[in-house]
Amino acid sequence: MRFTSRPKMNYMPGTASLIEDIDKKHLVLLRDGRTLIGFLRSIDQFANLVLQQTVERIHVGKRYGDIPRGIFIVRGENVVLLGEIDLEKESDTSLQQVCIEDILEEQRLQQQSRQEAEKTKHLALKERGLVMPRPDIMDEYGVQHQY
Amino acid sequence: MFRFQSLDEDCTLEKEEGLVEEEDEIDQFNDDTFGDGAIDDDWQEEHKRLAELEERKNDGLGGLGLGGLGMRGMGGDSSTVQLPPPASRVPHPSSLPPPHHSLSSMPPLGLEEMGGGDLAESLAMLILGADPAIASVGGPAGPGDRSTGLPPPPSMPQQHHHPSQLPSHHQLTLSGLPPGPLHPSLLSYQQHQHLLRRGGAPMPQMNSHNIWENNMGFGPVSVTPGLITQMEDSPLLSIIKEVGLPNRPPPVMSEDGRDLSERAPPPRSSSPVIGSPPVRAVPIGTPPKQPMSHAMNHQQQIHHPTTVHVRAPVHHQHRYPPSFPERISPNTLLNMANSPLCRPPFPAGVGPVLSQIQRAQMLNSQVAGFPRGCQGPPLLPGGGGFRPFFGQPPPHRMGPHHNHIPCPIIRHNTTHLHPQHRRMLTQRMQSRGGERGGRVGDWRSRDPYSNLMTQREKEWVAKIQMMQLQSTDPYLDDYYYQNYFEKMEKRQERDRDGVRKEHTTKLITPQVAKLEHTYRPVQFAGSLGKLTVSSVNNPRKMIDTVVTSRTDDEEKREKQVWNKRRQILYTVEKMYSLLLEVQDFEKRFMQTPEEQREALLEQHKTHTLQLYASLKEKEWDDRVSDEQCLLIMSVRKGKRLISRLIPFLPPLQAATVVMGIARNLTALAKKDKQDQALCWLVEPVAVVISSLSSAALTDLLQELQGSEGQLSKVLQNKFGVTLLYLILSEGERMQSSDLNCQLMDDNRWTELVFSVTRELLNVPPSSLSPPLFTPPNLLSLFSRYVDRQRLELLQEKLQISALSR
Repeated sequence: MRFTSRPKMNYMPGTASLIEDIDKKHLVLLRDGRTLIGFLRSIDQFANLVLQQTVERIHVGKRYGDIPRGIFIVRGENVVLLGEIDLEKESDTSLQQVCIEDILEEQRLQQQSRQEAEKTKHLALKERGLVMPRPDIMDEYGVQHQY
Repeated sequence: MFRFQSLDEDCTLEKEEGLVEEEDEIDQFNDDTFGDGAIDDDWQEEHKRLAELEERKNDGLGGLGLGGLGMRGMGGDSSTVQLPPPASRVPHPSSLPPPHHSLSSMPPLGLEEMGGGDLAESLAMLILGADPAIASVGGPAGPGDRSTGLPPPPSMPQQHHHPSQLPSHHQLTLSGLPPGPLHPSLLSYQQHQHLLRRGGAPMPQMNSHNIWENNMGFGPVSVTPGLITQMEDSPLLSIIKEVGLPNRPPPVMSEDGRDLSERAPPPRSSSPVIGSPPVRAVPIGTPPKQPMSHAMNHQQQIHHPTTVHVRAPVHHQHRYPPSFPERISPNTLLNMANSPLCRPPFPAGVGPVLSQIQRAQMLNSQVAGFPRGCQGPPLLPGGGGFRPFFGQPPPHRMGPHHNHIPCPIIRHNTTHLHPQHRRMLTQRMQSRGGERGGRVGDWRSRDPYSNLMTQREKEWVAKIQMMQLQSTDPYLDDYYYQNYFEKMEKRQERDRDGVRKEHTTKLITPQVAKLEHTYRPVQFAGSLGKLTVSSVNNPRKMIDTVVTSRTDDEEKREKQVWNKRRQILYTVEKMYSLLLEVQDFEKRFMQTPEEQREALLEQHKTHTLQLYASLKEKEWDDRVSDEQCLLIMSVRKGKRLISRLIPFLPPLQAATVVMGIARNLTALAKKDKQDQALCWLVEPVAVVISSLSSAALTDLLQELQGSEGQLSKVLQNKFGVTLLYLILSEGERMQSSDLNCQLMDDNRWTELVFSVTRELLNVPPSSLSPPLFTPPNLLSLFSRYVDRQRLELLQEKLQISALSR
């Protein structure tokens, strides 16, 4: 009878540690909104991650598209969350995979509609005298530009 | 069998953590640049190889007919090392001639023909030709490109035709070829050339990768010391020569078609002569390097005392708790083999032989279940070397032979946990371990990239994270944690109520000693101030403040004094306000209408009465309270007040005030030494005196003289002298003006004057203070009372005093 080959070392009992997650498939959500899926190969004390066979998954609605990226090294501070992917359950999902071009197009449309909505809202507010700071067009000195 | 024991040379392949941590003679330069991977930094080959892996999966390339070539592609570990994956297609090393060649043995055919210089080119051809990757890449390169000249299926005779080209175009081709995966091989080629030009005798054939495929089963090989010296650049090759080719390992690797051929990095010129001095310190972020067990170190040390570059004994017990089954990397094994073998003339920066990937795969193979089990070929000295690797197969690793669930390993880094906590965790571990038994292992065995992060590195990260949990004061840092477990313990105790005594274990948490790190500036004896070295932790002090704490008594006393003074000032202020009102009376009187004048007058009177009342004694109306007077006069403002006040007082009251002053003049004079504010009083007092009756005057004089010695003190004071003169002159005036002056009626006046004169004569001129003015009729006064002689003396004295005004 063969027992598990992985040493049952409990490195950080009672704490959150990524050591147990090494060599497993993970889904990583980054601060800029990207979703990466890859095998977690290495970590360090800052939770910098080395992901292998990484795929960037873009979700638009119920559809998604994958962009293979290769090896990623992610700086720990940019990670929002990450979680292990159960390989067995990975396949049964209601999401539909489409090809990259389609999903990018869809994403673009989505972004566009969002921006337009934002713009109209902003305009409406401005007319009423309330100027909301928009981080995307605000530079580091707090100056907002609209060209 | 253990021929390497006899060898004196050291191998410098080991640039392991042992040495690194000791920070001795080895060069850490490259390690630190790239961290842990630097030792094995042949990532380029790795990348190429792995890329090949991917390609091959897709392409399904057939093996090239590299039969003899791959094997003969020696000439240095570099060449063999640099062989890309296609070398894996080289036939099994068992098909090779037995590795027991001496180096002088005849090389395979093709090479024989070449001879020394030709060998170089042939080998180069071999390398480049053997690797389709290189060949294809090198195609479009510059003129005279060797690669173009290389026939894709290299065969010996063909290579033979390009002997002349090679050396001449050597440099050219190297530069001409595009970068990328080509480089390593080119480099190796260069080294190869270098090596061979040293008179490279043909090297024994070997398939280097086979060594690493099977990290045990090294057979000894005779070695030519001469060759060893030439092998400066290729310790690996020498190792191989020494140790010999291994027996074919169980086909762990071949099933995947992967090639684990070793790619030792090109030997770096890490001699201290060249380049910057070796960096000793390990940067903070570097993960640990591959460990080497102390047992092995020991072995080395014992047998090879002349070893310079052997790994220093690793006494890092804390990193390798005995309970923890060490996973000895293949590197360490190799290094054990290497160490006795050869030593390049200069300290090489060549690190362990295996790359990360290969190591990982090595471990993978362990994980998958090494068929050898516990029986490792004990090739190393004492046979104990391998023991750590196989001798202590952790129960959960060498599965087949052990039947029990992995016992919870008490980790050294969990000692700070609450025992209850630890118990819970081990339970959890066990339960988790039970479920996850079979499938993980299976999956792991197929993952070529697993275990890239070695156990040691994981531990290292865990250690860092654990360090953050250390606390000097657990109750301060993690109050809720401590409380929670305490409560749990109590609860359990309550529930079981003494059934199990183990729950009453005390909580042991490692407490890091709190160290006082206050900086005390150095002060040299006899110097002014302190020598301060400012740093981040000890910023420069702008002001050297010293806290002086006063005792309670002192404070009380000081407070009392202050309180008193404040009170005096307060009184003075009040009187002042009254005084001002009195002074302003005139003005106001003029301004107010008739009917209100009465009221104002009344008010005025009241004020003045009040003023006087504040000065006088409680009971006696005609005497000024001495204390009060003193108090008020002790303050400068008070003196001024009095001087302003006196004119407003009714004459009788004014007289009493003056009397009071005279009476207390000594005390006042003492206090007045500094600022002589009493002199303000002169004018009003003079006015008062002039209005005095003779009796009053006498009284005044008497008051002035007061007790014994008072007059002398009075005379020391300017005001006092002036006052005296005033009195005397007034008396004189009285006498001279009014013949019926009652001054002479009683003898007091005379006596007093006599005593005054006596005093005046006696008093040393220095202590006689010059008056503010000297009334002119003093002389006539004195002439009445004193004889001529004394008069003259007095004159002199007073004149002196007068003159010195």
